[in-house]
Amino acid sequence: MIHHFLENSAARYPDKTAVIHDAQRATYREINDRADNLARCLQANGIALGDRIALLMENSVDYIIAYYGILKAGCVAAPLSPALKPDGLTYLVDNLEPAAMICTFKSERLLRAASINNKNLKLLIIKNPKQKWEESPFRVLSFEDSITAQTSALTPMDANPDSLASIIYTSGSTGKPKGVMLSHGNIVSNTLAICDYLFLTPEDIQMVVLPFFYVMGKSLLNTHFAAGGAVVINNRFLYPADVVKQMIAEEVTGFSGVPSTYAYLLHRSPLAKYRDRLHALRYCSQAGGHMATQLKKDLKSVLPEHTQIIIMYGATEAAARLAYLEPDRFEPKMASIGRAIPGVELKIVDEAGGEVKNGASGELLARGPNIMKGYWRDPDATKAALDENGCYRTGDLAFKDSEGYFYITGRKDNILKVSGHRVNPTDIEDCLMQTRQLVETAVIGVPDDLAGHRLVALCVPLENELSESVLQKHCHQRLPKHQVPGEFVFLKALPKSGSGKIDTQQCAAIYDRFSN
Amino acid sequence: MPDVKPTLRQFIIDNFLFGDDNGLADDTSFLEEGIIDSTGMLELITFLEETFSIQLDDEELIPENLDSINNLVSFLSKKQVVQQPQ
Repeated sequence: MIHHFLENSAARYPDKTAVIHDAQRATYREINDRADNLARCLQANGIALGDRIALLMENSVDYIIAYYGILKAGCVAAPLSPALKPDGLTYLVDNLEPAAMICTFKSERLLRAASINNKNLKLLIIKNPKQKWEESPFRVLSFEDSITAQTSALTPMDANPDSLASIIYTSGSTGKPKGVMLSHGNIVSNTLAICDYLFLTPEDIQMVVLPFFYVMGKSLLNTHFAAGGAVVINNRFLYPADVVKQMIAEEVTGFSGVPSTYAYLLHRSPLAKYRDRLHALRYCSQAGGHMATQLKKDLKSVLPEHTQIIIMYGATEAAARLAYLEPDRFEPKMASIGRAIPGVELKIVDEAGGEVKNGASGELLARGPNIMKGYWRDPDATKAALDENGCYRTGDLAFKDSEGYFYITGRKDNILKVSGHRVNPTDIEDCLMQTRQLVETAVIGVPDDLAGHRLVALCVPLENELSESVLQKHCHQRLPKHQVPGEFVFLKALPKSGSGKIDTQQCAAIYDRFSN
Repeated sequence: MPDVKPTLRQFIIDNFLFGDDNGLADDTSFLEEGIIDSTGMLELITFLEETFSIQLDDEELIPENLDSINNLVSFLSKKQVVQQPQ
């Protein structure tokens, strides 16, 4: 069970610092005791085994207490982004029908603006509430009261490894968010596999700038709690100099990011200047989509020599992780996502479902104990994503080399037809990033009557004086003509989803506004 | 010397609050109130560099310099863009 990670570390290292957040330091014992209290409080207020509890909090010690407290009570943790807009929250609450919600005063206005009065909601727990909630049809408690000693005993729950533990909504670029159902067994198996390949120990200290409400941030928490290590929460990545300084001060051993995290860190932080002071930094891991090869090379060149780069690949549907590239193969296999993590099987199939030969492209399928149970209340989407053998169709196109290393070539639904050619925007983005003149770029296909699509590159230049002709010339020298964007649009930044990935749908909307 | 505060305030309102000042005070933390994300921060940096003809060092990207209108005014003052506001 997931909460056993916390309980085991609390038993072995009760007074060890588990979490550092600004001036706050919390030990394993403190977190475990408060999570126990919260679980008792939930049970005492009629929240039952298997009930869903929405958790709307930024990364904090309280988030961690709430997450493990929910699991200890035998409930299902459904973390939601506190940055949601009222319509988005209303949709998710209607879809989830939580029995309880846990949030901070920062979400009070959002809760008022959204319609959360679904018939199931019995309890709302608010950290430091500022508003009056007496008229509410559900019970309202302060978070502070709910984590202090409770009079009732914690009823042992009957949940088992196959029980639902978490519903995590995916930040898909199309359609409504889908709730990925992960069991205790899914998350525990994946957490242990990650601990294994990262060689995590109680000495490890992870800098966390990614939100816990997405699966990658959550896996940073679970893996370090499983190992008895510590996490440093820094919600100020907006100010990267502050993050780098804290990495030095706290002697963090691991840092994790998505491609935009590293683009920002490379171009807008004093990382290179401070490299000699990052003595403890053992590795930097990257997941959350393809990172341009140039960015990987630049990152390697500014990190201390002892710091390894670990490229990883996964999906919310896989409880986080499916593959990783061993750091000692970083140089020769830089473009690869590596090989399957322990316990996971990866294969590439053609459209008929047959496994293809090495070197041939097809869709990447994954099987293992970490693959989700399905999408919450969406049997059609579940059927489309999981085959009859429980294999997860990732939707990613890939090939495997003769040594068994996998390479992602694009998204099945993101291939553009340009004048009869199949074009993968990732290839062009990689080529543009090679100029080392851009912070980031996204290539989109704009519908065109003659060509099917015409290519537009949205570019964030490093220097304002960058001209279109430099990029055009660079592409013409390296790409076939049909892959050279016909238009370059310079922007100050690209829109991102909550997980930090570039939001291509928003990019298209920005281009529409720009061109009109 | 122009007063930079109204210029900064208008930029924040136009670009991050969709034209509605929404109770934005001079000491409102952009980070705490979720007004600016990392994408927005790049926009703010570019705006400062272009509007005030300054260059921001990476080490200057810290909350003490950038996280509210007051902090921005003090920072620009240190960069000798304006006199310290009265």
